[in-house]
Amino acid sequence: MSGLGWSLRSLGRHRLRTGLSIAGIAVSAAMLLDMVMLSGGIEKSFADLLLARGYQIRLTPKGTLPFDTEATMSGAIQLVTSIRQTPGIADAGAVLGASLYGRHRDSLITLFGYGIQPEAQALYTIISGGDLSPTDSLGVLLSLPAARVLQAKVGDSVTLVGRLDPQVVTAAVGRTLMVRGLVRWVYDYRDQPSVGTVLPVMQSLAGKRPGDQASLLMVKAAEDSAAPAVVTALRKRFPQLEVNSVADLVREFKQRLVYFRQLSYILGTMSLIVTVLLIATLLTITVNERLGEIATLRAIGISRVSVVREVLLQGVTLTAIGSALGIVLGLVTARYLDSILTSFPGLPAAFSFFVPRRESLTRAALVLLLTGSLAALYPAWLASRAAIAEVLRAEAA
Amino acid sequence: MNRAVLVARDLRKDYPMYGEAVHALRGVSLEIRGGEYVAVVGPSGSGKSTLLQLIGGIDSPTSGTVEILGTVLQSLSDRELTRLRLTRLGFIFQRFHLLPVLTAQENVELPMAEAGVPRELRRARALELLGYVGLGHRARHRATQLSGGEMQRVAIARALANRPALLLADEPTGELDAATGHEILELFRRLNQDGTTLVVVTHDDRLAEQADRVIHMLDGHIVIPERREAAAVPGLPASTA
Amino acid sequence: MATLARHWAVLLLVFPAVARSAAAQLPGVAVERQLAHELGLSVGDTIRLGPRPDTAGTLVTISTIYEPRADPAEIAKRERHLRMHLPDLVALLGAPDRVDRLSIGLWAGISADSASAVLNRSAYGFRAYPSASIAAESSQTFRVVSRFHRAIAVITIVASAVFVLCIMLLKVEERRLDAAVMRFVGVRRRTIFGALLLEAILVAALGCLLGTGLAYLAGAATNAYYRRFFDTVLTFSVITPGIVWFSVVLSLLLGALAGALAAWRLVQTRPLVLWGRG
Repeated sequence: MSGLGWSLRSLGRHRLRTGLSIAGIAVSAAMLLDMVMLSGGIEKSFADLLLARGYQIRLTPKGTLPFDTEATMSGAIQLVTSIRQTPGIADAGAVLGASLYGRHRDSLITLFGYGIQPEAQALYTIISGGDLSPTDSLGVLLSLPAARVLQAKVGDSVTLVGRLDPQVVTAAVGRTLMVRGLVRWVYDYRDQPSVGTVLPVMQSLAGKRPGDQASLLMVKAAEDSAAPAVVTALRKRFPQLEVNSVADLVREFKQRLVYFRQLSYILGTMSLIVTVLLIATLLTITVNERLGEIATLRAIGISRVSVVREVLLQGVTLTAIGSALGIVLGLVTARYLDSILTSFPGLPAAFSFFVPRRESLTRAALVLLLTGSLAALYPAWLASRAAIAEVLRAEAA
Repeated sequence: MNRAVLVARDLRKDYPMYGEAVHALRGVSLEIRGGEYVAVVGPSGSGKSTLLQLIGGIDSPTSGTVEILGTVLQSLSDRELTRLRLTRLGFIFQRFHLLPVLTAQENVELPMAEAGVPRELRRARALELLGYVGLGHRARHRATQLSGGEMQRVAIARALANRPALLLADEPTGELDAATGHEILELFRRLNQDGTTLVVVTHDDRLAEQADRVIHMLDGHIVIPERREAAAVPGLPASTA
Repeated sequence: MATLARHWAVLLLVFPAVARSAAAQLPGVAVERQLAHELGLSVGDTIRLGPRPDTAGTLVTISTIYEPRADPAEIAKRERHLRMHLPDLVALLGAPDRVDRLSIGLWAGISADSASAVLNRSAYGFRAYPSASIAAESSQTFRVVSRFHRAIAVITIVASAVFVLCIMLLKVEERRLDAAVMRFVGVRRRTIFGALLLEAILVAALGCLLGTGLAYLAGAATNAYYRRFFDTVLTFSVITPGIVWFSVVLSLLLGALAGALAAWRLVQTRPLVLWGRG
């Protein structure tokens, strides 16, 4: 009869109270797991997004973050060519973000445009059709929402216009392009209608041709480990630009969502407190009820250590069972909570707040087990201190 | 002559109760030899159970000493005392105090597991002991599924698990009906015949009658002389009549 | 002052003041307090503004330091703003006659929705929105946060309910010997049930009182902390009478229900079983 078996059977003596305690621990464990996922999920999800194609570095106009404003930098192609020739850098590409319009029958539909260098991009994955070639000035890529609103498919032609002039009621520039492929843009928010063309076409549509404007340069260091050194070198070389590694961007993003991280710590701590209270209360009352039994065990020669071990094991068993259920419950509630938070406007659809990772699950489980053990310490101490003779006298009375 | 298993010298025990001291034992001395069957009788509050607890090392005296097989209990640490209770003594209580979640066999195995006896050995011994007390067929039943008499017999088997030098029983038939009490009586008689040294605190005249010696207690004293000569052990007072 | 044209909002870079100089002829700008604090600026200082880091920029003078309107959507960002007259900004950016948006005030009695519809029918290249719909759209962030808080609150209430039920059960079961004796001497189940229920309600009421006090303290601490953290005057935690009433009623209900369930279970058990002999 192992100690664990004994503990399980002891807990089974009072099924209702044990069941309720396990339920309480499960809910607390679920909350703790969710908060652990939330605290780490934000940065993990964002970092995964940024590193989707291995581009570890971003260059933007001074004082800005990627796609945070409409600011642009000039001389994009020259910058990219120069950066590509730098030792330690595997590749670089320029991106221009702009608002433009698609003609559909008689109406103009607002679209978001990406001007890209297809040979060096980390912004999209192809769903169907093909990609743009680096010099393809007649092709366009559509997101699924864009294809839906424009009612276009691969092979169709779409007309994109820009620089609308309300006074003469015309668009200064327009292009009819062929849909080469349907793509998923990594940074698009839900249902965002986005289109992509090669950089010069988008510069023209956005009215930014003079000065060869770009919103963002993406740089891939040859080695991940060399990325920080590359960032330092680029900052020195281009003081007029903002140079950020993925770590810098994640840090900034975390800062903007600091409220959720702090909330996760507070709620996680409260979950632990509830778990401690529940286990400590249950076991203390159980020990008080079993004092006669405990005194007898001590009288027949069972050591204090054994008694303490048995109570601790009960606490750990309760916690383990509750935590196992709680982890399952936590994964379910995390999906629900994630569905709420990811409906934030302007958040990339690929982003997640609650990311179930092995480390999160392990960390939550270990913290819970440790907490359960600590919670059982007081009742275990009580049990070990039972005055044998006094208790036996009281029992006999 | 068998050697002394237990020697108690001038035991005193006081308890605080509602601000006053209650003198549960007022200088009790006795000696138990190997193989003896001793009954301790007296009215409620005479100090019988207190005496049993002191000689069993469950409680500590206000003054006086207890020696078991030459070891003075008062010189032992709590851990050593616990170990001694585990390996040298066996306890039987009025209310059985079996662990309700364990089977009869598991209850008997418990002290052996604590003493580090290997699993196979302790299983065999537990079954042997349950057979000895007539409950071999109930080994796998939970304690809550046993009758009062059966529970007490399991408690006796548990007390015998580590082959104790001395078996101490506090009102072993107190919770049992007459017929069941008689079964326990028989068991004790058989135990003693097989060589077990017994000290039994009891109100049951039948238990007292079958004992080799009856010690009568009143108000914390032994009041009726022992059947044997008391001068055999140096330092021991004569009869405390 | 006109609102800052958002087009190149964060491209405005503030160059260090060359010197505190008399600035009667220079364009005036209003700087938000946080920015003034970070750069050590005060009214009368002269700074240089430009659209890009590599431009010479234009000298302007700080005419006002203002406290920005607390915007929950902006506090987590570390953007800093200043305000200037529209013509000055246009001149600075070299973008003649271009703005991001126009604000239109209507005469009393004119519906914003109908005015927007008329403008949209005739407009080319822009869209008109009633301010209310802009407000609704931009408050989407807070609606998401509210939903999140509500979900957390529901989970917390469920956990609390389980916890309360468990504790009540334990506490009532501790009294089983007392209950057995009372039944033995003839006390009715109803009386025992009522006594235990009353006890549960009292405990719940005390808990409510304590919890309300804790909530006010926690709310005050939350506001103090986040106001300092974000350097804002926003209120983060508000405990309204409605929230207090809701919490108190719910807690009392939960406590009473838990106590009732535990008490009912106890009085349904046979006295001998409670005594340990059944």
